[in-house]
Amino acid sequence: MEGGVKKGTVSGYAYFLPLFLFIAAVYLYPFLSAISLSLHDVNYLRPGNRPFVGLANFGRLLFKEPLLGSTVRNSLVFTLGSVVFEYIIGLASALLLNSTFIRMKNLSKALVLLPWAVPIAINSLIWRFLLSGGYGFIDQLLNAVGFHALVNENWLGDLALVMPTVLFVNVWRSFPFYTITLTAGLATIPRELYEAAEVDGAGWTRRFRTITLPGIRHVSAVIVVFHLIWTFTNFDVIYLLTGGGPLHATEVIPTFLYQQAFVNFDMGYAAAMGVLLFLVLSITVGPLYSWLNK
Amino acid sequence: MRKALFLGLSLMLIAGFAFAAGQQEKSATAGQPVTLQVWNVFDPALPGDGKEHEQKYAEYSKLHPGITIQHNIMQYDQLKQKFIVAGQAQEGPDEIHMLGEWVPDFVSMGFLADITSPMKAWGDYGKFPESTWKVASVNGQIYGVPSIASTRVLVYRDDLFSKAGISVPKTWTDLRNAAKKLTSAPAQYGFAFCSSSKAVRGPQEFAVLLWSTGAELVKLENGKWVPGFSVAQAKEVFQLYYDMMFTDQSMPPDSIGWEWDQLDPAFQAGQVAMVQNGSWMRGRADQADTGKSWKTAAFPYDKVPATYLEVKVEGVSKFSKHQQEAVDFMKWLYSRDNMVFVTQFDNLPSRSDSKDSPFWKNDPVWRGTFLDTVSAGHSMPSIPFGPALKLTMDGVQQVLYKKASPDQAAQDFFTGVKNYLDTSVNK
Repeated sequence: MEGGVKKGTVSGYAYFLPLFLFIAAVYLYPFLSAISLSLHDVNYLRPGNRPFVGLANFGRLLFKEPLLGSTVRNSLVFTLGSVVFEYIIGLASALLLNSTFIRMKNLSKALVLLPWAVPIAINSLIWRFLLSGGYGFIDQLLNAVGFHALVNENWLGDLALVMPTVLFVNVWRSFPFYTITLTAGLATIPRELYEAAEVDGAGWTRRFRTITLPGIRHVSAVIVVFHLIWTFTNFDVIYLLTGGGPLHATEVIPTFLYQQAFVNFDMGYAAAMGVLLFLVLSITVGPLYSWLNK
Repeated sequence: MRKALFLGLSLMLIAGFAFAAGQQEKSATAGQPVTLQVWNVFDPALPGDGKEHEQKYAEYSKLHPGITIQHNIMQYDQLKQKFIVAGQAQEGPDEIHMLGEWVPDFVSMGFLADITSPMKAWGDYGKFPESTWKVASVNGQIYGVPSIASTRVLVYRDDLFSKAGISVPKTWTDLRNAAKKLTSAPAQYGFAFCSSSKAVRGPQEFAVLLWSTGAELVKLENGKWVPGFSVAQAKEVFQLYYDMMFTDQSMPPDSIGWEWDQLDPAFQAGQVAMVQNGSWMRGRADQADTGKSWKTAAFPYDKVPATYLEVKVEGVSKFSKHQQEAVDFMKWLYSRDNMVFVTQFDNLPSRSDSKDSPFWKNDPVWRGTFLDTVSAGHSMPSIPFGPALKLTMDGVQQVLYKKASPDQAAQDFFTGVKNYLDTSVNK
C-alpha cells in the first residue's frame, strides 16, 4: 500500500512537470533574473561590465533618488483615485443595469462594456487626440455647449489639471469591468431577501446597506484588490497620454522604471525598483484582501 | 496504463519542443527558405510610405523565390524598446529601421552587426554622402545603410504671411517678430515647439537652436567627452523658448508638453503658422485644405545657420541568422530607383543620385529647401547620448512652467550633460 502511494505520488508530480517547466520559464526565471539584476550595476551601454553591488541600487533608490517621493505619491493618487471612482461608477451603473428602469439589458451591458473592450493603447491615443487644445474634440464640444471658459485648457499640459485628466481617462476605461462583475454579483442575491425586507418596511437605502452591499462583498473584494494591483503597476495609460510629464507631474513607478530601463539603460537600478514594487505589493495585498473579504 | 500513457505523452511533448527548437536552428543554417524579419515604422494602413515598402517587399520575394519578408510595424519608441529586449535575449530582426542617434547606443550594447566590408564593397557606396555614412558608423565601422536623410526647415503658411505683409524670417529676431505678427490669440499663434516629456522631436528642435548659437552638444577634449556648449549659449536657447511663450505670447499656452503628434496636426489645423519641421509634412500638405500654401525655408538662426541632418539607418541585428541575405536585400531596396519609390511621400532619400531623379526635380517646395540646407546640417553625437537628450526637455519644461529661469535651466543642463558624460560615457 505504502509503495503504491509512493508510486502514485511520483507519477502525480510528473504530470505537473510540463506546467511547472512552463511556469518556471515564464515567471520564475524572469523573477530570479530581476532579483539578480537588482544586485548588480548593470547598464546596457557597458555590456560585459556587471559588478556585484549588493544592496547599493536599493540604497540609491531609497535614500538618494530625488524623484522617489513625488513618484510614489503620484502612484498612490493614481491608484486609489482610479479604484475609488471606478468602484463608485461601476456600482452605480451595475445597480442601474440591474434595475427595472433599463430595458434591453444585454444591449445596454454591451454598450457599457465598450470602453473596456477597446485596447488600452488605442484608447489612450484617441483620448490624447480628443484632449488636444483648440482643435480637439473635447474643446469643440465644450465650445458647442457653451463652456467657452474651458476651451483651450491644457488638459494634459497644465500641472494642476494633468493628473485629474489622466485619472478620468483611466476611470472611463476601467469602470465597465466593475459594472459587469458587480452586475453578476448582484444577480446572485436572492430576490426573496429584498421582498422580505420590503414587507418589513425597509427603505431603499436600508436594503442597499444590509442586503446589496453584503451580497456583493466577496466579488467587490476580488475586483478591488485586482484593480489595486493592475493600476499600481499600470504603465500604458500614463505613458501614452503624458509620458509621465509634464515635469514628472504624472510620473508613477512604472513610467519611472521605464525611464531608467529604456532611456537611461540603467537596468540594475530599474530592476531594484521592480523588486521593491513587488515587495510592497506582496506585503500589502494579502492583508488587504483578507480585510476586504472579512 | 492510462497514467503511464499520459506521462509518456507529457515527456514526448517536452522532447518535441526541444527537437523543434533544434530543428529551427538547423534549417536556418542549412540555407532553406528564408524569412527575413523587418522591423520598421512604415504602416501601410496610414498615409506615408508604408504601402510602397510592402510593394517592394513583395517584389523582392518574387525576384528571389525562397525569401519572404515579414514586415513588423511599430512606433519609434516601441521599436527601440523591442530591439533592446530582443537583444538581451540574443535575438533580433534581420533588418531594423533606426533613428541615427540610436546607432551608438545599440553598438555599445553589442546588438548591431558590423557590415563595413559588404558596404565598402558595394558599388553604390559612393552614391551616399559621407555625412550619412558618418551617422551609420561608430569608430569607423559601418553598422547600417542610411535610408533617409532629411534636414529640418521652417515650414510656414505662405497665405498667412502674405496677409500679414511679412517676409520669411532669417534670424531669431525675425522669427520672434514674424511670430508676433502672425498671432491672433486664441485662434492662431505664430509658432510652437515640441516640449514633451517623451522627448522624441523636442530634443532635435532644441539641438538646432543650440547649434545655431555656434555651440556643439558635446566635444572631445583630451580624450574625454565634455559639453560642447557654454552655459551662456544654452541660456540663449532657453531664453528664446521663454520669450516666445511669455514675453511675446506668440505660442499657444496649451502647447507646453506637445509632442510631434500634437504639433503637426496643430499646424495642419491652422492653429500655428510656423513650425520647425521635416519632409514628412509633405504628406500632410496633400491632405490639408491649405496645403498648397505651405512653403519651406531655412530655419532662422542666431549666430550661424544650423539644422538637424536627420539620417535614418537600416541595421542588421548581430543575432540575425540571415545577415548576408539581409544585407543583399537592403542593397536592393536602397538602390537608386527603389529608394526613390519608398521615400516618395513622407521621407527624403539619402542617396545623392536619388535626389537627382526626375521625381524629385519636379518638387521644388519639398526638395529645394531641404537639399539647400544640408550644408548646415549637424547630426547627433556618435556616442550614446539618449539620456542626455532627455535633459533638454527637462530644462525646457522647467522654463515653460516657470520653475526655473533660463539661466538656471542652462546651468542645470550643462551640469546634467557633464555628469552624464562623466558617469556613463567617459567611465
